[in-house]
Amino acid sequence: MDAFPHLFLALLQYNLTLTLGAVAIALPISCFCAVARLSSIKLIAYPMRAYVNVLRSLPLVLVMFWIYMVLPIINGISVSAFWSALVALALFEIAYFTEIVRSGIQSVSVNQWSAGVASGLSRYQALRHIIIPQALRRMTPALLMQTLIAFQDSTISSIIGVPEILHVTTITNAREQDPVTLYILLAVTFFVLCYLASQSVNSLERRYRQKLGY
Amino acid sequence: MTGTVDWSILWTGTTGRSLVDALILTCEISFISWILAMALGLLIGVLRESPWRMARVFSAAYVEVFRNIPLLVQLFFIYFLFPRILPRPVANVLFDLGWEIVAAVITLSLYSSAKIAEHVRSGYNTIGQKLRQAAASSGLSWWQVQRHVMLGLLLRTIAPSLTSEFVTIFKGSSLAMVVGVMETTYVTRQIGTETFQWLPTNVYATTVYLVCAWMIAGVMLVIEKKIHVAGRIGS
Repeated sequence: MDAFPHLFLALLQYNLTLTLGAVAIALPISCFCAVARLSSIKLIAYPMRAYVNVLRSLPLVLVMFWIYMVLPIINGISVSAFWSALVALALFEIAYFTEIVRSGIQSVSVNQWSAGVASGLSRYQALRHIIIPQALRRMTPALLMQTLIAFQDSTISSIIGVPEILHVTTITNAREQDPVTLYILLAVTFFVLCYLASQSVNSLERRYRQKLGY
Repeated sequence: MTGTVDWSILWTGTTGRSLVDALILTCEISFISWILAMALGLLIGVLRESPWRMARVFSAAYVEVFRNIPLLVQLFFIYFLFPRILPRPVANVLFDLGWEIVAAVITLSLYSSAKIAEHVRSGYNTIGQKLRQAAASSGLSWWQVQRHVMLGLLLRTIAPSLTSEFVTIFKGSSLAMVVGVMETTYVTRQIGTETFQWLPTNVYATTVYLVCAWMIAGVMLVIEKKIHVAGRIGS
């Protein structure tokens, strides 16, 4: 139990930072990617589709290996474990967020498009002022849930040596030889945080559904 | 570029051999876990719709527990703590079997079964109440309704989700490396560390995961078409 403050600090300093950092990078980029993915120009849409499909088929740890191990070999740029994990997580989340944003955009009725364009807006203006605001509200719960998954996935960065909570637990266990207490503590910490967060997202979704009636 | 890139390590000598073994192990772990996860997930999902309150509470708790703890943490948890609650002789048998592999299979199955149970629940919602009520009013017991009326429809309804769960398990099996299972990612890192040939090994692993994911999707698409029943929503 003495280890708990230590573990919690690692959680805040690394897991939370990694998650929020990755989401902050991925969210704006994935909005552009989703629009690109829906583009009628195949030269733009196909590469986006390929990106999403490839990244969603790979394990996150392998993406981390690419940046942490292979990048320095190819061009001599050496990236620290933390930044490798952050970039890998961001690249990974871009793929998942893009799909969420895309289905959010597609869930807005096509009549809304037509109405917008008929009232004299350009396609971009209709997207910006009519489609995106509605889509954003619909996809918020899914985006938050995906953020929660990213938070859980941040533990994978321990494999390349980021001193996040799982890593600290393993090290502490090697010293104190008390896996029962330590791993129960670790599991309970994640359960409590993620359970509370996912319940809040669920209630948010229910409120949206009632308000917007979809 | 530091050093020379030697692609031949992928197919020659001990490294080539261990990469093949690793791929086979990855496939075995993923496939067994998928089958177990489907069986467990169906059971838990059906219990969620059962008339018994205790079963519903258990099923809901099961789903929440496995959904809200990271897969990697669950793996460590099961790997370290499971042998301690088992009687010594049983634990010894497990260690002889290769506990790290068994632990990986158990973890992947439990984790994915919770997600499949959620798919089953939404499958029930898609199919709706009426069919179940009709079946029940024709004199079938609750269990008979689930077994003879719902099961086939459920499997058809959630077939796409089962495919994506399989791909998720396939990707998740890479995490078994942390407890020393010599699957594809583990061997990739091992060879990379020993020979410093990170580029070839990573290209190999990436190709393996991509090709397998696409193969799984392709095979499942054929199966989905085969079991398709015309005119059913979601089938």
